[in-house]
Amino acid sequence: MKKYFAIGTVILIFFAGFFSYQFVKFNDNKLHIVFCDVGQGDGIFIRTPSNKNFLIDAGPDEKIVGCLENHMPFWERNISVAFLSHPHLDHFAGFNYVMKRYNLISFATEDLNNKSASFQGLLSQLKDKKLRIQYLYSGDSFKIKDGTRFSVLAPTKDFIDKTSPNGQIGETGEFASLIILVSYGSFTALFTGDSQAPELSQAISDNSIQDIKILGVPHHGSKTGLRPEILSRLKPNYGVISVGAHNRYGHPTRFTLDLLNEFNVKTLNTSKNGDIEIISDGKNLQVR
Amino acid sequence: MKIAAIASVFLLILGVRVFLYYQNQPHFSEGEDVDLKIKLNSGPKISSNRQVISANLGLKHLLIITSFLPQYHYQDNLKISGRLRSKVLKNDKEMFILYYPKIEKTNPNILLKLTTEIRQKFIDLFSRTLPKNYSSLLLGITFGIKEKMTDNFLNNLRITGVLHVIAASGMNVTLFGGFITAVFGFFLKRQLALFLSIFGILFYVFLAGFEPSIIRAAIMGILVFSSQILGRQRLSSYGLILAGYFMILLSPDTIFDIGFQLSFVATAGLLYIRPVFYSSKRIKRILDTSLVGEDIATTISAQAATLPILFANFGIYSIWSIMVNTLVLWTVPMLMIIGAVGGTLGLFSDFAGKIFIFVSFPLLFYFEKIVNLFSGLGGIVAIGNLSWQVIAGYYLLLISLIYARRTHKK
Repeated sequence: MKKYFAIGTVILIFFAGFFSYQFVKFNDNKLHIVFCDVGQGDGIFIRTPSNKNFLIDAGPDEKIVGCLENHMPFWERNISVAFLSHPHLDHFAGFNYVMKRYNLISFATEDLNNKSASFQGLLSQLKDKKLRIQYLYSGDSFKIKDGTRFSVLAPTKDFIDKTSPNGQIGETGEFASLIILVSYGSFTALFTGDSQAPELSQAISDNSIQDIKILGVPHHGSKTGLRPEILSRLKPNYGVISVGAHNRYGHPTRFTLDLLNEFNVKTLNTSKNGDIEIISDGKNLQVR
Repeated sequence: MKIAAIASVFLLILGVRVFLYYQNQPHFSEGEDVDLKIKLNSGPKISSNRQVISANLGLKHLLIITSFLPQYHYQDNLKISGRLRSKVLKNDKEMFILYYPKIEKTNPNILLKLTTEIRQKFIDLFSRTLPKNYSSLLLGITFGIKEKMTDNFLNNLRITGVLHVIAASGMNVTLFGGFITAVFGFFLKRQLALFLSIFGILFYVFLAGFEPSIIRAAIMGILVFSSQILGRQRLSSYGLILAGYFMILLSPDTIFDIGFQLSFVATAGLLYIRPVFYSSKRIKRILDTSLVGEDIATTISAQAATLPILFANFGIYSIWSIMVNTLVLWTVPMLMIIGAVGGTLGLFSDFAGKIFIFVSFPLLFYFEKIVNLFSGLGGIVAIGNLSWQVIAGYYLLLISLIYARRTHKK
């Protein structure tokens, strides 16, 4: 009995220590953006200075869960908004696993459907959790108390109607994808999903959007995503490519890598760097 | 003489039963339309657009390939109809495949349905409370529920020889029973404490969903730790043999179940090898006074008994295994208590359940770190094929050593 009492005490002390350690580590009043290494796909975790958690896409499988566990304290289970850039498997399938372990407070995406059984499965899971889907369009934005702003730059309703007249997303060719700008102080990061050059050019045509710090390179570095005029306007310090090693699409393409190089954008790649974490206090930024 | 006669009658009955069982196995062939009832013995392998379910068909392996949704789970009862395709594997074994058959989920009875629901609630609660590897480990230790963990961690558990803790073996139940007896025994009479512990184990069997492997484990666990307490070793030995006998008589397939083999042999090890440590006064004193002495004795007894089975089934053995087991086994009964109490609380109040389960965090953290540390140290012995002669020789040697030790004592 004495033995178990001793063990109990040790457990308590350890618990207090571990709790304090994680509390200090994850509550540093800075903005954290993590491009999770989810293989071929996209999964971006954002933790704001006031410790609100956001997710943009969740990758193709369970890997996203490991990434979330490594970048938030173990007792936190709420994700304020889960964004889905567009209903393709390599962006949404991970939400099935995220939902088992975390509470999504709201779920936001573009108004496009995908007939596949896996996407219908996700929709029915959302329904089971009584989560209403918020459809976002260009011009929507919200700001949270700590000053972090999320602005939706694309797609417009016209663009969705033009590219997917039947409301179903195409597998190839042109389709709409959410483009989201996150800003905190003078720090800005642009998340482009699988958008292609015409949509992206249109999204950043507003004069207020230039000179960003971080660019999530569109469509895993495919050759259809970037154009010189886009980079000359955005002038990002870093370009992050979320991609799986040796994927069958040949992402990222030479064309895109050369283009990023030409504009002196420092390129980071999840298949080489693993999880890529960017930390900002609103002025400076640090890459981990 | 009398015992020998009774034993041979029993063995004869068993022989006839096993012979008839395998003689009457249905035969299947390529292109045949089949209607099957299957209970999933493992969770389906899920990839992004399909599920692959493993099952047995007669004496052959069957793979069922089906769409991503609806998702099936470990322990589901399925009614499946479709056309068989057969495939010959590299090792000349034949295997059947069903591509996208019609699948219907059936619910056998209310009690089982209830426990299935409860188990699902446990899985949900644990997953929402702990990191992935931790929740899977705790679900495995507490209820023998196999949830996915990262391949890396699963492999580390395997090579350090502690995978058995997630298999709901008789050893877990023994540790659990011993622990609650110790706790109750602190303020109750010994007989009463023993009675309450057995009751505790039965309640645990209910929580764990009356799974055959857990029922077997519980029967054997109760045998061992009641023998430890009452000091009636012979009674427990008969009990163990009878329990094993009837389990095989009821379902001859049991004998091929690794969980059964491990439970049975480990229990025998605890009954016969463990007392050897305590036969010498000097060793007994050391074991009693040190913090992990009991666990060392338990681990060595169980490992000595199960070594050939581990080799034959997992093919690898880490020289650190006894060390790792000694370092982590003491956490198992506590984790089982935390898991069982936390899970039960969670059925009534999600919040209370979560708070209680958090208590397991430091223990699981410690468990994980030890396993990962030692799995990185090397020292792994790999054995390709173990012939039955070697296994038989090993057990004969073990039995004669124990026998020699006993007669020596007398």
